[in-house]
Amino acid sequence: MIRGVRGRLTLTIVALVILTAAILGIGSYVFVDVRIREQALNNAEVQARFDLSSTIPDRLVRQTVEGMVASRLADTFRSRDIDTLVDFGGGEPFRSKQDLDIDQLSSQLRTAVANGQLAFEWARLGDTPSLVVGGRLPPSGPAFYFVRDVSALEATLDQLRLALGVGAVSLVAIALLAARRVARGVLAPVEAASRAAERIELGDLSARVPVTSGDEFGAWAQRFNRMAAALEETIGQLEAAQGQNRRFVADVSHELRTPLAALVAEASILRNDLDSLPAGTRRAGELLVADVARLRALVDDLMEISRFDSEAEEVAAHAVDVVRVLETLVANRFPEAQLAMPPGPVTIETDPRRLERIVGNLLDNAREHAPGSRAEVRLDMSDEGIVIAVEDRGPGVPPDRLERIFERFYKADPSRHGGSSGLGLAIAAEHATLLGGELRAVNRAGGGLQIELRLPVTRSLHHGDPSATGGEDGGGQPHPAEEPLP
Amino acid sequence: MDARILLVEDDPSIREVTAIGLRGAGFTVDTAADGQAGLDRFRGDPFDLVLLDVMLPRLDGLEVCRAIRRTSTVPIVMLTARADTIDVVVGLEAGADDYVKKPFEVPELVARVRAALRRAGREPNDADRLQLGPLTIDIGGRSVARDGGEIPLTRTEFDLLLELTRHAGQVLARDVLLDRIWGYDYLGDSRLVDVAIQRLRAKVERDPAAPELIQTVRGAGYKAVR
Repeated sequence: MIRGVRGRLTLTIVALVILTAAILGIGSYVFVDVRIREQALNNAEVQARFDLSSTIPDRLVRQTVEGMVASRLADTFRSRDIDTLVDFGGGEPFRSKQDLDIDQLSSQLRTAVANGQLAFEWARLGDTPSLVVGGRLPPSGPAFYFVRDVSALEATLDQLRLALGVGAVSLVAIALLAARRVARGVLAPVEAASRAAERIELGDLSARVPVTSGDEFGAWAQRFNRMAAALEETIGQLEAAQGQNRRFVADVSHELRTPLAALVAEASILRNDLDSLPAGTRRAGELLVADVARLRALVDDLMEISRFDSEAEEVAAHAVDVVRVLETLVANRFPEAQLAMPPGPVTIETDPRRLERIVGNLLDNAREHAPGSRAEVRLDMSDEGIVIAVEDRGPGVPPDRLERIFERFYKADPSRHGGSSGLGLAIAAEHATLLGGELRAVNRAGGGLQIELRLPVTRSLHHGDPSATGGEDGGGQPHPAEEPLP
Repeated sequence: MDARILLVEDDPSIREVTAIGLRGAGFTVDTAADGQAGLDRFRGDPFDLVLLDVMLPRLDGLEVCRAIRRTSTVPIVMLTARADTIDVVVGLEAGADDYVKKPFEVPELVARVRAALRRAGREPNDADRLQLGPLTIDIGGRSVARDGGEIPLTRTEFDLLLELTRHAGQVLARDVLLDRIWGYDYLGDSRLVDVAIQRLRAKVERDPAAPELIQTVRGAGYKAVR
C-alpha cells in the first residue's frame, strides 16, 4: 500500500501542476494574442480611414483601373507593405499583386464594405496570413481592400505557443520529480516503521523507528518504539524465566546423576543375588531393580533434553545408508516389527546416531502405546527427501492432540503410566529438527498411529578422510559384511 | 584372578558398591576418596590396574592419570560422567587405556577391568621388529622409532599400531579393533577406535591431516599401508 499512497500523492501533485500550467499558459497566450491583433487592427484601421478620406481622394482622379495605375497609389501603399485590391463594382478589379483575388475575401466582408462600413478580416490569402481592411471611397466610390502581410505577427504568436508549451512540459517534469521526492519524504517514516516491524517479526526485538521529527509522525514513531521496548522487555522476561526453568532442569538432572550412578551399580549387584532372597523381599528387590532402570532412563532423557536447551548440540553428518541403519536398529530394538524397505542402499548425508535415536524412540513409543500389536517401519523416497514411517495398530491419538504428542511430558492418555519418561517423542523431535527434518503424526486409516520422520536429502558425498567419525557404524553394532576374512 | 585394583572415587556409595562388586569378582581392592590420596596410595603399593573417576576433589582424575603415566604403564580405566567425544579424547590424551561411562552396572565394569588386565598381561613373545613405512616397531621393547628417534606411544596406541601393521594392507573394522585391542567381547563405543587412531596418527604420520600409513576405508574401518 505504501507504493500506492506514494503514487497517488505524486499523481495529485502533478495533476495540480498541470492544471496550473495550463491555466497560466493558455491565459497568457490568449491575452497576448488578443492584444497583438488588436494593436495591428487598430493601426490598420486608423491608416485605412486616413487613406480613404484623404490620400486616395486627393490623388485618384478617375475611379477606374487605369486611374489607379495612373495615380501610383498602389506604389505608395506598397512602400508601407500594403497590397491593394480595388473593386470598381463590376468589371476587372485593380490588384497590386497578381495573385490577389476578390473571391478570396469572405462575402461578409464584401457585404459590409458594400454597405459603406469599414470592415476587416483575418484571412489566409494564398499561403500568406493576412489582415484585410476594406472600405468604400465616400460616398459610394469603389471598394478599397488593404491587405497586410501578418506573417511576422503569426510567427511571433507561434513562438509564444512553442515557448509556453515547452515551459509547461518542463514544469510538469520538474513537478513530477519534486512530487516524488516530496512523497518519499512524507512516507519515509512509514517505510522506516515498516522495516522495523519486519525486523521485529523476524525476531529482532531491538528494532526501533528513528524519531526524526516533532510532528505527528515523530509522535507516532515514539509510540511505536515504546511498544517495541515493552514487547522486548516482556519477551526478555519470559525467556529469562524459561532459561531459569531449563537451567533448573539441567541442574536437577545433573545432581541426580551421582546418586543414580550409585543406584545403578547397587541394583546390578542386587539383581545377581535376587534368587537368594526370601520371596517377599525378592519381589521388592525386583521392583527396585526395574525402577532404578526407569529412573535412569528418565534422568538420561532429562539430560539429553537439557543439552538441546543449552544449544550445545553439534551434528556429525556423513554418508549413511538408511536401510542398513533401520535394519540393524529394528533387529536390536524391536525385532517383531515389520520392515518395508526399498531394495538396495539409500544413502543420505546425516548423523547416524541422531537418526537411530529418533527411530529408536519412535519404536519405543509404538511398543508402549500399542503393546502386542503389529508395528511396521517403512522407508520411502521423494524428491525432497526421505520419509521414515513408524506405524502401530494401537488406539491412535485423538486428532486434536496429534500435534501435542511432541511436547515434553505430554501424555495422550493421562491414565496411562508406562515405563517411559514422557520425553521420548520430544527428544526425537529435537533431533529431527537438528537434522533439518521434522516429525509428523497422523492416525492411520485402519486405526493406530503413524509417525513420519521427514529428512532432506543433501547428498554431497565428498570423498576424503573423515578420520574421527568416518564410515557408517550403525550404533557400534557389528556388521558381519565388514569383517575382513581372518 | 587375584589382581590388585586401586579405585579412586569421591562418592562414598559408588566407591563402596564398586569395591563390593570388584571384590565379589575376585579382585583385591584398595580405595581412595580424592585424587591426591589416590596418587599417594598408588606410590605406596604396586597395583595391577587403576580405576579413576574424572571429577575428583583436590586432584583432578586426569592429573592423577598423567602423574601415574610418568612413572608407570599400569592399565588405567577412567570413570566418566559424560561420554562425550571430548572427554574420551582428553582421557586418552592423559594416558588412559579405556573409559567406562557412568552410570555403569557392576558386571559391565568387571568385564572391562578384566579385558584391560588381560591386555596388560599379554607378554610379548615376539622379539621381531616390524617395519611400516619409515617406522620401525620393536615388538619386544614395545617401542617405535622413526629415523632413529623414538616416538613415545601409550600402550593402547602401540597395540593399535602393531595390530594394524601385522595385518598391513588388510582392512580392520572398528568392531574388530575394539575386540582385539580393548578386549571387548560385547558392544563397545567405536568412537574409542576413531579417537585412538587420531591420536596415533598425530604421533606417527608426517601430516596427520593426510595420513599415509594408517588410512580410513570409508564405511569399513582402517588399514595400514606399507
